[in-house]
Amino acid sequence: MSSMVYLMCSLPSLTYGQVPPISLDEFNADAQKQLSKKHFKALEAVDIRQTDGQTKDLCKKSIRDMLSEVQEDLLEIRKARSENRQPKLERLSTVVIAANPLEREKQIMQSQWEELSSIEAGKTFSLTEVMVYKLKLQILSRMHSFNAEQGAQVLASVVDPSIKDED
Amino acid sequence: MANLKIRYTKTERARQKKILKVSERMLPLFEAMEKSLMATINSIAERIDEIREEIERNSKAAKPWIAVMSDSWVNIDHFISVNEIITKPIDVAGVRVQQFEKVDFNVMPVDGATPLWVDDAIELMQEQLQLRAEIKCLEEQIELLEEELLDVRARIKLFENRRIPNAKIAIRKIGQKLQDDERLTIATAKVVKTSRQKEESV
Repeated sequence: MSSMVYLMCSLPSLTYGQVPPISLDEFNADAQKQLSKKHFKALEAVDIRQTDGQTKDLCKKSIRDMLSEVQEDLLEIRKARSENRQPKLERLSTVVIAANPLEREKQIMQSQWEELSSIEAGKTFSLTEVMVYKLKLQILSRMHSFNAEQGAQVLASVVDPSIKDED
Repeated sequence: MANLKIRYTKTERARQKKILKVSERMLPLFEAMEKSLMATINSIAERIDEIREEIERNSKAAKPWIAVMSDSWVNIDHFISVNEIITKPIDVAGVRVQQFEKVDFNVMPVDGATPLWVDDAIELMQEQLQLRAEIKCLEEQIELLEEELLDVRARIKLFENRRIPNAKIAIRKIGQKLQDDERLTIATAKVVKTSRQKEESV
């Protein structure tokens, strides 16, 4: 418990939309130093892109449920697109359907962020809080990777392979 | 023209007349072919411009969301690549060229964990790659048509500057020479006749 308190107190606070104050590698290194092997292993298993795996822990379960419901919504949006109909969404707002791909990803991430905030509410200095911190940091890192100039380069490298060859 | 060797015979004059007749008949055909090739090249160039504008329009439409393509979670390269550009041979202005049909893509299936923007990016990339492939085909068509145009222009020059003038000169010169020869023959015959008459009277 005391190591959890020390870890959480040493980590900078996170706000949605900000530049990540620490990198994921730095966070993992700090967590590995402070947490027990068992807790660190549980933390390693948590990833915002992974929804598989079984758990009895209620908090971990609520995180997994939230992530898998978002993925199910994404599947439903894809299915509805192919069937040319309106999707029926469980977790995400219908606003995301009309938004452009960038805004849509941001809205999905914001929705995940808000869900994570509600999951960690009242669970100060717990493993859940550390897990949520990691997931939020993953969201911030991803959001920070969105860059118009680099995105244009990625598009150009696919549609005009000569650019890629020059690099 | 200075080196033009002419055989001053009636057969040669007939041959030159035939060359002139054929050349004068062929020249308008080559001129029409030149016009047709130029018009085709121009229309292909216009189509290329239209496609470039379409590419630009697509890029502009994607600009508000292009930042998402640098997503650290996704390497879009893995989702789409060109397998083959499918074309079919056709005749354009008498030249065999390859006409763009479609692009065969290798598209990796997306799973639930794949961000939604990947679908939009694949769609955009397919569109842009198709348009670029069409431009490439059209540019190759222009290349072939320009080669043919050079050939046709060389033929037109040959007819205009050499064959037709040479045949005309040859016909004129042979005509003059044959006329001179005829006059000379008549004059000689007259001289012979006169001298015979004189001998008989003596």
